[in-house]
Amino acid sequence: MPLLRIDPADPRPIWRQIEEGVQNLVAARRLAPGDPVPSVRDLARELQVNPGTVAKAYQRLVDGGILAVRRGEGTYVADALPKPTDGQRTQRLDEGAARYAGVAATLGATRGEAVERLRQAWTTLERGS
Amino acid sequence: MAAIELRDLGVRYGRRTALAEVSLAVPEREVCAVLGRNGAGKTSLVRCLLGQQRPSAGEVRLLGEDPWRARARLMDRVGVVPEVPDAPPGLSARELSTLLRRVHRRWDDAAVRARLERFDVPLGQPFGRLSRGQKTLVQLALALGHEPELLVLDDPTLGLDALARRAVLEELVGELADRGVTVLLTTHDLAGVERIANRVAVLRDGRLLLAEELEPLKERYRGRAASPLDVVPLTLEEIFLSLHETAAEVPA
Repeated sequence: MPLLRIDPADPRPIWRQIEEGVQNLVAARRLAPGDPVPSVRDLARELQVNPGTVAKAYQRLVDGGILAVRRGEGTYVADALPKPTDGQRTQRLDEGAARYAGVAATLGATRGEAVERLRQAWTTLERGS
Repeated sequence: MAAIELRDLGVRYGRRTALAEVSLAVPEREVCAVLGRNGAGKTSLVRCLLGQQRPSAGEVRLLGEDPWRARARLMDRVGVVPEVPDAPPGLSARELSTLLRRVHRRWDDAAVRARLERFDVPLGQPFGRLSRGQKTLVQLALALGHEPELLVLDDPTLGLDALARRAVLEELVGELADRGVTVLLTTHDLAGVERIANRVAVLRDGRLLLAEELEPLKERYRGRAASPLDVVPLTLEEIFLSLHETAAEVPA
């Protein structure tokens, strides 16, 4: 997974960085349902982290229904991804909105300008470009 | 059972105290990094572990045995990468592997060769003519030849270039994944070891400043910030530096 990066200066523990990194790749469709993910051993070597740390992240992803283990074959992104609960969904939307509002305010944007930019970004996203 | 257990370990050389009241337990399958400045006592600690130095006080248990008394038997279960490469300079890696095959009850010559090929080390060249990095890689390959339960590495990445350093760390990760060995390593390479170690011990002037799991330790440092603008140590290196400031204080 070349898009996965971890940073010891990140306040999150390394296992959580891996867990959230995979979640984000799946959410952004960089990893599609059914895609294979590296073995614990290979990912640990690539990231040069303790295999126990990768195993912990994978276990949590399997428990959360994001990854699925096929016996003797390896680990894959689950075919049917779990829908976040209403609470999780609201929380993530609020977090993302707060981040964007913070950036816009720092740059001196008005409320109207910030909302308009978001509308444009949404349109771009829907067009798929 | 802990793979390594030190109880009130003390070492004196004449009047000089090298280690005092060091107590440390490393559970099986864990990776413990022993940190400290030069002269802090890391080498004395390793020498006691390997039965090369008799403690002046306290007890050492390695895989349940006293290394000072049971050194020969223990060395069949322990792999060692010394700080200063100590293999006979006239022998090639291939010859060293053949030699060690006779010393150990168990020896996987094919695995040693496979590792050396992966490391790109010439099998037939005399040890003394290899580069520093190649010597360390040879010693690592040989240290793993008898599939030890415990691996002790004394500053394994010292003086290595980026490629050799990466090879050492990757091999360690591979061993951990494949066989679940216990690892104790002393190091100055805090960034390299930070992602691999799950336990750290910090020595200063022969005394243990702390010995505990890395993640909870970092968590406590993070929790110490009183305001969002407080600078708190987040990496192992930053924690190590803050421990060596005057009036160093580990958050409770």
